[in-house]
Amino acid sequence: MNQIKNISPPKWPLKILRFFLKKEYLEEIEGDMEEIFYDNAERVSLKKARRIYSWEMIKLLRPVLVRNLDFIERINQYGMLKNYFKVSFRGLMKNPVNSFINVFGLAVAIGLAVFAYGFARWTYSTDQFHENKNSVYLTTFFANRDGVNQQYGTTPRPLGEMLRHDFAQIKNVCRIEDRNVVMKYEDNVFHQRVRYVDPEFLEMFSFPLKWGTAKSLEDINSIILSQPMSEKYFGDENPIGRTILMVYGKDQSKAFKVTAVAKEFPKSYTIAFGFLINFENFRTTDPGYDFQDWNAFVNATFIQVDSASDLKTIKAKMEKYASLQNKVVKDDWAIESFSFEPLATLHERSEFIKDDISRSSKDNYTSIWFMVIIAIFMLVLACTNYINIAIATAAKRLKELGVRKSIGATRRIVIVQFLTENLVLTFFALIIGLILGYTFFIPGFELLWDFDMDFRLIDVRLWIYLPIILIITSIASGIYPALYISRFQVVAILKGGVKFGQRNPLMKVFLCFQLIFAFVFITMTVMFSQNTTYLSNRGWGYNQDDVLYARVPDQSSFEKLSAIMSRNPDVLSISGSEHHVGKSHTTTVLHFPDHDYEVDQLSVDPTYFETLGLQLKGGRVFNEAEGSDQHSVIINETLARTLGSDPIGRTFRIDTVQYEVIGVIKEFHSYEFTQLVRPIIFKVADKADYHFLSLKARSGADIEVYKALQAGWSELFPEIPFEGGLQEDVWGFYREKIGIYKLVWRVFAFLAVSLATLGLYGLVRLNVEGRTKEFSIRKVLGAGLKNIASSVMSQYLILLVVVLVVGGPLGHMSAAWLVSFANTYHMPITYSSVIIAIAVMILLVLATISTQITKVAKSNTVAGLKTE
Amino acid sequence: MKKTKLGEFEELVLLTVAVLQKDAYGVEIKRELEERIKEKLSVGSIQSALKRMEEKGFLTSEWGEATQKRGGKRKRIYSATPYAHRVLQEMKEIRAGLWSVIPQPAYVKVNY
Repeated sequence: MNQIKNISPPKWPLKILRFFLKKEYLEEIEGDMEEIFYDNAERVSLKKARRIYSWEMIKLLRPVLVRNLDFIERINQYGMLKNYFKVSFRGLMKNPVNSFINVFGLAVAIGLAVFAYGFARWTYSTDQFHENKNSVYLTTFFANRDGVNQQYGTTPRPLGEMLRHDFAQIKNVCRIEDRNVVMKYEDNVFHQRVRYVDPEFLEMFSFPLKWGTAKSLEDINSIILSQPMSEKYFGDENPIGRTILMVYGKDQSKAFKVTAVAKEFPKSYTIAFGFLINFENFRTTDPGYDFQDWNAFVNATFIQVDSASDLKTIKAKMEKYASLQNKVVKDDWAIESFSFEPLATLHERSEFIKDDISRSSKDNYTSIWFMVIIAIFMLVLACTNYINIAIATAAKRLKELGVRKSIGATRRIVIVQFLTENLVLTFFALIIGLILGYTFFIPGFELLWDFDMDFRLIDVRLWIYLPIILIITSIASGIYPALYISRFQVVAILKGGVKFGQRNPLMKVFLCFQLIFAFVFITMTVMFSQNTTYLSNRGWGYNQDDVLYARVPDQSSFEKLSAIMSRNPDVLSISGSEHHVGKSHTTTVLHFPDHDYEVDQLSVDPTYFETLGLQLKGGRVFNEAEGSDQHSVIINETLARTLGSDPIGRTFRIDTVQYEVIGVIKEFHSYEFTQLVRPIIFKVADKADYHFLSLKARSGADIEVYKALQAGWSELFPEIPFEGGLQEDVWGFYREKIGIYKLVWRVFAFLAVSLATLGLYGLVRLNVEGRTKEFSIRKVLGAGLKNIASSVMSQYLILLVVVLVVGGPLGHMSAAWLVSFANTYHMPITYSSVIIAIAVMILLVLATISTQITKVAKSNTVAGLKTE
Repeated sequence: MKKTKLGEFEELVLLTVAVLQKDAYGVEIKRELEERIKEKLSVGSIQSALKRMEEKGFLTSEWGEATQKRGGKRKRIYSATPYAHRVLQEMKEIRAGLWSVIPQPAYVKVNY
């Protein structure tokens, strides 16, 4: 029996049971449950028995067994609250159109809010699955290279090893460096990026393994694959023990044994891998790799410490390494200090750290703000809709209010009543909004961007967030109508002397505000939508449409491929280069007598500009004669602007060599429009360094030339996969991305327009309905359609004018500000967006009002006279 | 039978109580019935059936012994009332009557 004392059922279900169950049944049922629990505990695991016990307890809550919760009814206000709910349900049912407008508007807004939450959660969950996220740090340093103190994410090569030896507090050190190689297994040959890491990698980062062991990375002949790579090369089979060949030079390769495969990575990460091999492999694959070279950098060095205080001690002693570094390197690369970035927040800080390994997208963080702004806009629109309709319908509730007040309801109680009603309504909207977000907004967005947001309904924070939205929205939309309606005096109401509803001046203000708000929002969405069209048509600054490129391993392969391609009649020119626009560059520091500049450097041959269609703005390009212009550079406009009025002929040093500027190239975009054009210099490339072949195809023949290029390559090097393509594809999915933005903004524009229309429609409808008698009399007295139309229209016309006069400039300015804030390069701001928005607005108001005018015109005059 | 309805599940529980006699308390009823219908049952469903039938007068109950396994809580032993026996008998007869007048399906004859 002693054992029984150790195993016991969980306590909390019993508490629930004791609260809800009828007292007279408690002893028996508790006893039964316990008996069953101990029976189960002997048969199955203790954990399972407990689970069964809790679940059974919950299933016990049935009407027959649960005690009468009559004590709740004894609460004084119970009856009244019940009545409020009943009245609000009846109200909802009685005015289905108004209820729909209110509930639908709020639901869309809440759906967007749910979506914004899901996206923010997804973004901030990046890398959070690492168990050691708070004890692992990226080593970074600060350096001042062109006047700005910049944080860098790379580390001098020897530092990692030194830290490991010098500090007992450091538990683990892991250097990470990536290389492009070819991976080969039987017929599967692909270009891949392989990650050289210290064996501690899997200890510091939590990537659970599907097969194999993490320790195997200590062997320099082992390789660890990610799940997608394992599938790519080996299909569904377990590849442990297979040999995969890594080709790293032209004819050099090393066989690795697969020793582990990682499980599928979590949904949101910035640091992952395709292939992992031991860092020591550099000794064989790259004999020139000097582990002690302070001049060279590894992509990242992570350290793991036990506590934050340890980190402080280490940080305090880092100065020694900074001076060690600065003693060895040239002045350009001098660093100010070292610092450490925790893994947990690295993804957020990533945009401020240059060359950092995590490269998380800054766009995601801006997008969160945009979604929040849009969700708030929608909520405000929906709330103003509600307020307007509530005030307009107040007249219908007057009798009820009078009765309530005369049997003793105070103003406070009436306010509570109206707020309760509103809570019910918002609650409906919340449920529909949640469904809308869960089944429409989130899946739609995931489909567009092709990712998995991993949104789950079982999420504590979501269920804190939703009630907050519920309460804020219901108070924001309900408080003014409640205060307004509760104000009226009983006597006045019952005497029928109260005239209000349509006459409330504040209502006009609200409507005006609502329409201005909608107008501003419409202007924004129009401008963003236009801007996406502009961006997809914006030139890149060179002739990207007819240019193709191929990566080549060395000079001889360049020459062979060039010989084949030059025989093709569709090829107009061929160039060789070490770097390539949109694909690669290196970074250098230029020393002018007065200032240093950090620039991107591309080494190319003299015909490169002609081939790519890069236009000369001033000066000249390189001479084609071999060996000339070794000390000349051509710069881009951005750098020219920084240098001042006449850059041609100016001289500067790189290291110790003197160079002269001989030409300026017109502005062009190497990378996406989201990135600011950086200062660039072109130098003459040494033929031995050629890594790219670029060629210009006859206009329209680019696809044929691409096929010929691929065929030529596989004829020359059947063993090495082809790596190249059309120049217009170097930005990856940029065009698709712009297309998606366009679609998303149109959806928002549509939602904004429909919300505003709905609100206006509801109001005009109420207004016209309230004047049924008046219109009938007019008709009897001979009024035609024209007369009725002008009498409905007149009040809204003034409103429309006010909205356009106030909203026009406001919408234009805010949209212009937002567009320039969100885009590095955007369309020239014109008034076209605001004009389109004005047209939309006028159309919308007229269309809404005319539906009601036709209704009045067609209505039965006699029935109209009999109303009230 | 006419006045007070006896559900299908209730009938099964009632029969089990009648079968178990002196052992008819919650856990045992559950065990027995589970074995016979070869399905897992929840305590809640058994208990609510018992309580409903007690209200309708099919069952009476009294406190039984307490064991240590039950944490010192007493069992409640159920027994079927004469009225319940009468209703059960009646139902059985109604069923038998109905069964006896079901015409033999044609396919049965063809097959045999």
